[in-house]
Amino acid sequence: MASYVTTKHSPLFPIFMALILVITLFPIYWIVVTSLKTPVENILPVPTLYPHKPTLENYQKVLFGGSLRNLLNSVFVTTASTLFSLILGFLAAYALVRYRFPLKFNVVFLVWIIIVKMLPPVVLAVPLYEMFSKMKLINNLWGLVLIFQVYTLPYCIWMLYGFLKSLPLEFEKAAEIDGASRLQIVRLIVFPLVQTGIIATAIFSIIVAWDEFLFSMLFIRSPELQTLPLAIVSYIGEFETLWGQLMAISVLAIIPIIVFVRFVYREMTSAYSLGLK
Amino acid sequence: MPSTLRSSRDRPFLPKIKKSFTYHSTTNRGLTGMKSKGKMQGKALFYWSILLPALIVMLWLTLYPMITVFLTSFQNYNYISGRRSWIGLGNYKNILADQVFLTSFKNTIVYCFSTTFLEVLLGTVLALVFYGNFRGKSVFTILLILPMMLSTMVVSSVWKTLFHYDIGLLNTILSRIGLVRVGWLIDPHIALWSIVLVDVWQWTPFAFIVMQAGLLSIPQEVFEASVVDGASYQQRLLRITLPILKDQILLLCLLRTIDTFKVFAKVFALTGGGPGNATETTSLFVYREAFQYFNLGRSSAASMITLAAVVLMSIFYLRKMLNSKEA
Repeated sequence: MASYVTTKHSPLFPIFMALILVITLFPIYWIVVTSLKTPVENILPVPTLYPHKPTLENYQKVLFGGSLRNLLNSVFVTTASTLFSLILGFLAAYALVRYRFPLKFNVVFLVWIIIVKMLPPVVLAVPLYEMFSKMKLINNLWGLVLIFQVYTLPYCIWMLYGFLKSLPLEFEKAAEIDGASRLQIVRLIVFPLVQTGIIATAIFSIIVAWDEFLFSMLFIRSPELQTLPLAIVSYIGEFETLWGQLMAISVLAIIPIIVFVRFVYREMTSAYSLGLK
Repeated sequence: MPSTLRSSRDRPFLPKIKKSFTYHSTTNRGLTGMKSKGKMQGKALFYWSILLPALIVMLWLTLYPMITVFLTSFQNYNYISGRRSWIGLGNYKNILADQVFLTSFKNTIVYCFSTTFLEVLLGTVLALVFYGNFRGKSVFTILLILPMMLSTMVVSSVWKTLFHYDIGLLNTILSRIGLVRVGWLIDPHIALWSIVLVDVWQWTPFAFIVMQAGLLSIPQEVFEASVVDGASYQQRLLRITLPILKDQILLLCLLRTIDTFKVFAKVFALTGGGPGNATETTSLFVYREAFQYFNLGRSSAASMITLAAVVLMSIFYLRKMLNSKEA
């Protein structure tokens, strides 16, 4: 590869790289370190750079204080809402790619999706809250799965639309000539072909759902149904913040993501290179 | 895993986006091109029925609420007393004269554009510096994208500890080297910039990845030719690299603007809109009016103004898409 950037060979390159890594990783290091310090060490006027008396006390408190429940809630809501969005989004995107609906409906639908994607979700919060409380879906994890569709469904339709669009038509034609039904074509031909795209879409959807805070805060009342972001905020909100426990929960929230990145890194970078956020 | 990154060259970034609105030539004629009437109807039925679930969910969860918000914005509606009355444009006049709303709108714009600018700038610089192969590149990239994988609440809470006035690490360092402590989250002039800093820390990696993919999709020959022609690094950067990447940079700006315009969780966790109204954003304003003061009319009017701003911002994006459809 012909190099057209000369900085790599300059002595400043490694220094610059180290600097970037320190800036990026220090806060993450700080999360871990803080979670291992004793409560007293965490409120010293001069913070210590590493735990002088490392302890797992914070993790103990957090795990027995119900955070495992929060973690499971988060995992459940994230998985369920992603699956739901993927199925609905895949079918809808396929219809939009392969069929021209009357009255320019395809364009109208996609423009609406973009507007929803751009809209601050708080705008929809009040009417949704009224609707959901009438349907007794407040304080219910399934209600949360449903409400997450506001974020994940437009996302999934939009991304899968892009992936399906790039699919050549020949496979489907051949299958049709061979006498496959439309449903068989979708299930046996199209679905396997866009698998990578589906995985990439799932990754984004999972990240969004894992991170969701606003609707969870408004729609969940009881502590045992809280998701992780809510649990984290409840620790910040208290008069005297328990930094150690706060960071222990944060570590709990990070671990699944790290494991996840480890496995999906390849798909993720290719998805980002498509820029279909 | 540099090979993964380079594979983006097989899938050039922009043509994909531009194609978004073109249809496959056969779309209207069915897969085989056979056009018996029963078959056409069966086809329409099939596609409508697979679109329907998503359509219903979208109508129910977004269109219906939007219409409700639109109607409520012309009413005086208090959720607690349940009283509703039509007051025409009253809410809008009221909101647009409200200092708190104006501040929140200004803050949102400042936040939105400064984070986007900084992230795209830094991301581009990083992508340029770390272009090409070097030892440990894939590990480096994985480590670099960690911040954007963390959930916003985790990010906010760790920065909250770092920003703490008395026991935070940043202020400790500042006072150690003989500077005054900074009220990162409690000084009205600085608080908003602290939140900007957090967002830049979290999302510059995203800009980096997108720009890196864009750089890798430029054919090497272009650079080789320019080297043969004796172009200096600066000339190459300004005349070749950046112009080629222009569309990608614009798209990235757009993605980040959309995302930062919605900001809620970060502000909620870091400052709660304070001190005073120094970090109030439109999302927070809408939330407060609705769920703390139960002033649904005002909250809806603020929502509609936000929507208008969003549509205005998205016109650029939409026009680009619709243009490429005609092309």
